[in-house]
Amino acid sequence: MIGYYIRLALKSFRRTCGLTLLMGASIALGIAVSVATVSVYHLLAGNPIWWKNDRLYAVTMDNWPPRAMLPSPPPGVDLALGPSQLTYQDAMHLFASAIPERKVVMYKTRGVLSGGTARKLPLRAIARVTSADFFAMFDVPFLYGTGWNAAADRAPKPIIVLSKEENQKLFGGEDSVGRTIRWNDREFRVVGVLDDWLPRPKFYDINNGPVLPPEDAYIPWGWGATLELPTAGDVECLTLGSLKTFRDFLNSECNWIQMWVELPRRSQRERMEALMNAYWSDQHTRSRFTAPMNNHLTNVGDWLAEHQVLGDDEHLLLIFGFAFFAVCVVNVVGLVLAKFLGRAGTSGLRRALGANRGHIIVQHITETAVLALGAALVGLALAEGCMWVLARGIALVNSNGAEAAAHMHFDMWSFLWATSLALVAAVAAGLYPAWRVARLPPASYLKSQ
Amino acid sequence: MHIDLRPILIALARSRTGALLVALQIAIALALVVNAVYIAGQRIEKIRRPTGIDVQNTFLISTAGFTAHFRLLPTIESDVRYLRNIPDVLAATTINAIPLYENRGIPVVARPGEHIIPLVSGSFDIDEQGLKALGVKLIAGRDFRPEEIASPQSYGTPAEVIITHHLAEKLFPGVSAVGRSLYMANSTPARIIGVLDRMFSSSLNASWVNDVTLEPRRPNGASSESYYYLVRTEPGQRDRVMRIAEEHLSASNPDRVIDWVQPLAHFERLSYAFDTLVAWFMSFLTCILICIAALGVFGLATFNVTARFKQIGTRRAVGARRGDILRYFLVENALITAVGITAGCVLALVVGYWLSIANQLPRLDLYYLLGGVVVLFVVGQLAALHPAYRAAAVPPSVATRTV
Repeated sequence: MIGYYIRLALKSFRRTCGLTLLMGASIALGIAVSVATVSVYHLLAGNPIWWKNDRLYAVTMDNWPPRAMLPSPPPGVDLALGPSQLTYQDAMHLFASAIPERKVVMYKTRGVLSGGTARKLPLRAIARVTSADFFAMFDVPFLYGTGWNAAADRAPKPIIVLSKEENQKLFGGEDSVGRTIRWNDREFRVVGVLDDWLPRPKFYDINNGPVLPPEDAYIPWGWGATLELPTAGDVECLTLGSLKTFRDFLNSECNWIQMWVELPRRSQRERMEALMNAYWSDQHTRSRFTAPMNNHLTNVGDWLAEHQVLGDDEHLLLIFGFAFFAVCVVNVVGLVLAKFLGRAGTSGLRRALGANRGHIIVQHITETAVLALGAALVGLALAEGCMWVLARGIALVNSNGAEAAAHMHFDMWSFLWATSLALVAAVAAGLYPAWRVARLPPASYLKSQ
Repeated sequence: MHIDLRPILIALARSRTGALLVALQIAIALALVVNAVYIAGQRIEKIRRPTGIDVQNTFLISTAGFTAHFRLLPTIESDVRYLRNIPDVLAATTINAIPLYENRGIPVVARPGEHIIPLVSGSFDIDEQGLKALGVKLIAGRDFRPEEIASPQSYGTPAEVIITHHLAEKLFPGVSAVGRSLYMANSTPARIIGVLDRMFSSSLNASWVNDVTLEPRRPNGASSESYYYLVRTEPGQRDRVMRIAEEHLSASNPDRVIDWVQPLAHFERLSYAFDTLVAWFMSFLTCILICIAALGVFGLATFNVTARFKQIGTRRAVGARRGDILRYFLVENALITAVGITAGCVLALVVGYWLSIANQLPRLDLYYLLGGVVVLFVVGQLAALHPAYRAAAVPPSVATRTV
């Protein structure tokens, strides 16, 4: 029966070509714009390590002065959460704890890689100065080799892990484990090469934007202080103090270290909280931590939500994208109604020949569904175009345009969205007109013939 | 000219669903169009703000030393000398951050002490040609002198600073700031020697975009940190000078890497990328929305004309002129549009109010609403014009036919 309805639908499209194109274009545009905005939104709002959401926690402690002493923040900024990074001294104290199953302290730094076999000129690169657990904690995949152990962090060993892209640039993609490369002017031995890894948003360090790719290289934590490597991320210094040397900076109240812990059990989490609270009280008596206690262990989902990885602009695009879809659907309802009522005579004839109201409704809904699915395909193609434009814009504003934009295109998600939107459109646009047509008394349409 | 509204209203009441749908569509379209255009307008206004900097004729070179043989100050000295001697170069300076782009703010206060609410300002380290290279205008005090340029210290306060008028007014309201001191990050005073007319800091979205402090200091190139040369050329010569400089500097010193050479305008564009995107998205949406609203009107009017083919013929046969028929359909359409627009005005205000609350946008400007009403009404009438003419063309003889 459905096959017959589809044939009827196609026949009707052929008969009213212009009107069908109008309706199709309207649905396709609505789908394209909303799929594009949803994909961007999904990309930014997703939790890239959801399977560890109840194990991984960002560690933050509030060393800012009481809020009454700070200037009023710009609209949209909430100071109540406290800093999103730790000071070096607090990070080092908490990192010494044996409570977490895994723990990581880290920051990113800018430098130069040279001495690869596949490249003559030196290469500007971003490296993550990080402790050993980073790779296991965030489930970072390796193509060749491995990371390092905690001993390599303390008395820092000259070893380095490269990203897949960086290994491609420096060694032409070959297995470079055991080879030597220069980070600035110090030789490092490659111990591992990562496989493709692109957590979006970049939850573990939200500095400089959520769609940045991960770092190009990874070196053991101890090198940070040893080589006095400056951070390439934000440094928040809300308390004034004198900073002359790197040592002063390490001892300062400036927040610039990211710290994450893995606490699979509730008891561990409670002990970690107790440790942080005890440390807070101890420091409070030494006239640090002057604001009320504001320690947090935040899981990835809450972390992304709290730190507004999504800005108002993304919400704005999403809202307008869907409102636009609504206008398109209303428009199509009007057109479909006009079309169905226009040929009510045929339906009257079909009713007279034995079709019941249900048949008429199914037939008409089938027609709009066929139209909507066809429009969805066109809409997907259009969405790819819209998304390209959106992605470029969003990526550009996050300072590392081309790379980020290259990874944004439609995926399974966009496809699901497009199909479900098409079905919504079909039902929404077809249901009322179909019901109206089915309700008409057949006799009134037969007699004028 | 007398128009009898009664038959129109009766006909509308008989087939109200289609008319209501078109009215609804016009209402939503109006609400969206007005707010979209308003948002786009705000973004465009933001992008067009004057920065105080000669953006079009300046470019930046990013560089970093990375070997033990690298000597920062001699390298800077020879690079700056080279850049200043290129024909058509007006000025060249070292600078520690990219103007209009890199997010850098430091707290400043007018008096030393811990419990003073600090202001945040954008800060740049430049040299004695810095003001000329940026193209900013001094309105009080003097420029930096070559002997005042401090060597790089990562952390510390210089002896002299130049600040923008906007920041000066915040620190010392109503009095001249020249000769006074401000405090940055520690308790050593920095004397204000000059005040700038206007200059944007690096964070174009920050509330302190107009608050800038300039310090006479070489950038810190330690630990392979990037630093920049900012070069201003004669109008029209920027791209040529960029090529010459990049070619020379890339080869001149094996201990450093030339990261990139880019016009300053490139970074201004990047900083406004999202605003540009929003403006384009909203403009695009507005165009399509108006088209779709017009299509809806057109579709309904066409349907009405087709459905009433015979009635129109009958009216013509009993004496109605073409003009009467035309007027009938246009008035009917105007009524539907007017209902939609009235509902749309309310909806637009609600959406505008909600956006202003939820997204911290300024409240909707009523002129935009007025503009939206006029545009949608005119577009609605234009869309109904063709079906109305078709109706007027129905010959009276139709009434005599049976089918």
